[in-house]
Amino acid sequence: MSVNRFLRPPGARTEKEFLSRCLQCGQCAQVCIFDCIVMHTGFNPFVAGTPEINPKVAACHLCMRCSAICPSDALHDIPIEQVRMGFAEIDRKKCYQWAEFLLCRSCYERCPIKWVAMKLERGEYPVITDKCAGCGLCEHVCPAKAITVTPTRYVEKGRKKDGGK
Amino acid sequence: MMKKPSIKTYRRLCQLLIIVLFIVIPVLNKNRYSLLYGNMLSFHFWVIPLADPLAVLQLTLKNFSITFDSFVGAFLSLLVAFGLGTVFCSWMCPFGFLSELAVNFSKKFLPRNYKGPGIVASGFKFKLVIFLVGIGFFLIFSTTPVLNQLSLPAWYTRFFQYFFGQGYFSLSILVIAAVLLIEFIAQKRIWCRYICPQSVLLSLTKRLNNKRLIVGFNPEKCRCKGAREHCTESCSLSLKPKNVWNLKDMECTNCGDCIVACKQVGKALTFQVGGGKRDSRGEPL
Repeated sequence: MSVNRFLRPPGARTEKEFLSRCLQCGQCAQVCIFDCIVMHTGFNPFVAGTPEINPKVAACHLCMRCSAICPSDALHDIPIEQVRMGFAEIDRKKCYQWAEFLLCRSCYERCPIKWVAMKLERGEYPVITDKCAGCGLCEHVCPAKAITVTPTRYVEKGRKKDGGK
Repeated sequence: MMKKPSIKTYRRLCQLLIIVLFIVIPVLNKNRYSLLYGNMLSFHFWVIPLADPLAVLQLTLKNFSITFDSFVGAFLSLLVAFGLGTVFCSWMCPFGFLSELAVNFSKKFLPRNYKGPGIVASGFKFKLVIFLVGIGFFLIFSTTPVLNQLSLPAWYTRFFQYFFGQGYFSLSILVIAAVLLIEFIAQKRIWCRYICPQSVLLSLTKRLNNKRLIVGFNPEKCRCKGAREHCTESCSLSLKPKNVWNLKDMECTNCGDCIVACKQVGKALTFQVGGGKRDSRGEPL
């Protein structure tokens, strides 16, 4: 996984469509009350000023303020169940719960769409379903660093065409 | 009795307000104050959106669709240009303000090297070429509106968004400083006259309106024929203010500096609505 891995804000369209619609005004970053959205820094003319989220630093809580404020509809205002920013994956060898090391439900407790995106197998073991929004909160809180979120925009080319929606 | 403040005082206040506003907005937003958001590319105040027409045009051409917010934003910006000319450049643009200061300081501290109206008389053609090449490049090769990166006012506002919003010191301020230094040495507003693609749409829009605000010239009152021309010297864009009454003019930004300079000489230059030379009673000649 590269160092530059980042997610687009919730409701972002597919990467190509998102970039061609983003006005780079930074209103989403300014309205974000969790300070998780930051603007892409640097001088690369193709991405400078577009919003991004690094879940390791601060994760999205799916409050959807950003997609409500976006003036150019690069961020769709959609219900949080339809958000697909990425997919979370649990490394069962590292997870305290799966490794039978500790009782830990940090990820489950923080998931914004509990029991839809994340379920507890046999009432204890966290399992991520395919309804995961990929907000990255679980990655942010996981004490074992067992969860990684793969941004949808990495896998758009090919199998999942409408993944970014 | 207090002297009535000149147009230039109001203009400087307006420019300073914008300069300070875009430093304050990221700080306010960081403290969860939610009335003003955005930067020079797209901005909203309460429910009123404002947008850079060029940015919106790029998105519209690429996606064949436009959202209500960005349409209204671009429309309002163009409406101002339609009625008042490119006042954005002289009254609001933060880079325009800095560039004006750089050139004015240069004229004060360096020996003047004024050699006529510039390298090429019309800088607008240069801008138009950059504008068209940029849009072509965007439509064919790129998915990101690349012309946005040529907007120095946007980089100015973005610097403070980065700085106060996420604690990142952007080097964009050095780019702005470099351009200002070049303009300081050349004593010409190179960026505003020959490069800035953002002003192209504004200029084209103002051209559509024959009843817009322009700087009118009354030859009967002009008292500096052949001598030192205060108006030409005062124009920071190195235009000839006596010629901009012509409705074909693309470059005058209605800053009013020439009018202030002319006030002491003959009051031959005044703001007027609609083109053409006028006599002292405001009747067309």
